[in-house]
Amino acid sequence: MDNPDLLLKQLSSIVLNASPLIIAVCGETITERAGLINLSLDGTMLLSAMTGFIVGYQTGSLWLGFLAAALVGMLFALIVAFGSIRLKQSQVAIGFVLTLLGDDLSAFLGQNFTRMPGSFVMKAGIPLLKDIPILGPIFFNQDPVVYFALLLVIATWFFFFRTQPGLKLRGVGERPEAAFARGVKVNRLRYLYALVGGALVGIAGAAYSLDVKVGWSEGHIRGMGWIALAIVIFGGWSPFRGAIGALLFGATKALATVLQRTFPQVSVVAFNTIPWILMIAVLVVSASELTEKFINLMPVSWRRPLRRLLRVSAPLALGTRFGED
Amino acid sequence: MVRNSKRINILMSQTISALTPVLATLAALGVFAIILMTLGANPVEAYGALIEGAVGSGNAIADTLVKATPLLLIGLGTCIAFRGGVTNIGGEGQLIVGAIAATGLGLLFPEAPGYVVIPLAMVAGFFAGAVWGAIPGALKAYFNVNEILSTIMMNQIAVQGMNFLLRDLMIDPVQLEAASKIPQTARLAKEFDLPRLVPTRLHLGALLAVIVAILVYIFLWRTTIGYRIRAVGLNADAARYAGINVKRYMVLSLLLSGALGGLAGAVQVYGVTHRMFTDGSAAGFTGGAGFNGIVAALFGQLHPLGTIPAAILFGALLVGANKLQRVVQVPSALVTALNGLVVVFVVSSEIWRRRQAKKRQLLEMEEAARATSEPDIPPEPIDGGKEVLR
Repeated sequence: MDNPDLLLKQLSSIVLNASPLIIAVCGETITERAGLINLSLDGTMLLSAMTGFIVGYQTGSLWLGFLAAALVGMLFALIVAFGSIRLKQSQVAIGFVLTLLGDDLSAFLGQNFTRMPGSFVMKAGIPLLKDIPILGPIFFNQDPVVYFALLLVIATWFFFFRTQPGLKLRGVGERPEAAFARGVKVNRLRYLYALVGGALVGIAGAAYSLDVKVGWSEGHIRGMGWIALAIVIFGGWSPFRGAIGALLFGATKALATVLQRTFPQVSVVAFNTIPWILMIAVLVVSASELTEKFINLMPVSWRRPLRRLLRVSAPLALGTRFGED
Repeated sequence: MVRNSKRINILMSQTISALTPVLATLAALGVFAIILMTLGANPVEAYGALIEGAVGSGNAIADTLVKATPLLLIGLGTCIAFRGGVTNIGGEGQLIVGAIAATGLGLLFPEAPGYVVIPLAMVAGFFAGAVWGAIPGALKAYFNVNEILSTIMMNQIAVQGMNFLLRDLMIDPVQLEAASKIPQTARLAKEFDLPRLVPTRLHLGALLAVIVAILVYIFLWRTTIGYRIRAVGLNADAARYAGINVKRYMVLSLLLSGALGGLAGAVQVYGVTHRMFTDGSAAGFTGGAGFNGIVAALFGQLHPLGTIPAAILFGALLVGANKLQRVVQVPSALVTALNGLVVVFVVSSEIWRRRQAKKRQLLEMEEAARATSEPDIPPEPIDGGKEVLR
């Protein structure tokens, strides 16, 4: 790693690899901020990756590929929302079953399109910006999917914390009764943001098959949906923190590859498990009461920033039903 | 007269409500038939093959039951966890660690008599799964870590561990000599095979699973500990006020749930595969039993005894699907999609049940208003008395 160019290349590939994850995390964050858990991410992303690839392959249009993937994501999100709001079923159970269904369906429907060369998103550096030293090659000499992911993070943050509808969205997820009393249509908003989040998750799936991990094969990106769900928690339901989580996850994976080359005597398995163990550790730190105790041992002036750094709290009404009617 | 017809109405709607899962299954099969037709296959022929493959002969029935066994054990674990208010999606990982422990024991003592090793292996699998379940349980109870995610992570760790062990410590010495180095263990001693119940592939594990189902039922509904687990699942706050150590029971329900998953792994190795092998993914060894078992439990309304027929149904679908695939030449992935379809239909059929239950309650209220003196039929809670989750 003594070659700076190599390091920059490594870093820019981390950003590229994390971009679909960032999109998915933003989508799920939006849905969960509205109080709904869409657990089906893993299946949704597989199915939308497959759909996006095939549509892109057949029509030759990447736009249509992404659009079809977004529609698949919306369909699954709609099933989760309908099942939990209208049918009053467990969101977790529906999401879980959809995970399996998405996985199976993608394997079946995509089987004639496995390992085929398809079209993919081309790299398009932004003029001027890409010439900025260090930051330029990492963030601005990428392809449109990466830019979309980065813009999405900013847009989601702005929407959440600087706009009226964003406030309503958070109200629906935190205190639906209060929001309802102020005249907000709680369940209608939940449907809406489930659809928005689902569309983004679908786009994330297609971002894999049309950009980051081009092509399709059975179980192409299995597991990434679960990673995204964990990162949403790590990110404390904030798009910026979520994006950082996705980048960190990519970095640990890259680091594992590097370490593996450095220590060939250690089994590959040890490195393969690192991201997963790290995820658990991160969840422990961010959700545990012990962290709170640890923070309270610190000097007073440190507590607030530490708490902001280490602790997260879920939207209060996450996963609960709201009986509007 | 009027009252009688109302009562018949109530009975009718109760029957329909009980039959909804069956009707939903039929609807799913109907949709599947349409898919088959669009693929140019004859659905009648296809379903004929499915049924014949699943229950057409003694061997077929035995295969179905063998396939249902791990589903049932995993499903029973799911019942305990969900009833205890925790969601265990770690069946795959728990099955794998159980299988590893049981296989390891069998490989360590190849000379020991079967009647010693087999029970010990079951116990080893049980405990390994218990550990694998207790870790996310403790993380949930004491560190507030979401158990859905941690059990998924534990699955991944178990798979990596299996891949490592089967390529390294536990690899078949023959494979170590050979150039191919297929990652699998040696075959366990023939003595350790679970006894066959009848001269088919049906092994003792199937019977064991049914016994465990009854035990789980007794445990959850007839013992204090089981009662407390359910109390925690129904309302953790109320349970805490009642003096129940909620955290401990959370860990316990995930621990037991994992233990049954581990037992499923041990049974699978000693009854069916007689060795462990891996293709790198979890499903390569488990065949997805760790996930399908959860679905079977949901299908069985999270009731241990309801899970028995549900597991058999899914076992039949899996076995019959193989035949279906051979006869009408449809891809295997389509067949697993059929399982998903069945579940989605059953879940969505709940809307029907609920609407019926509501109607029934209204009828009952009218009934009660008309004749308060004879409360023959106990009023049903609004959800038909069955909580699908929790």
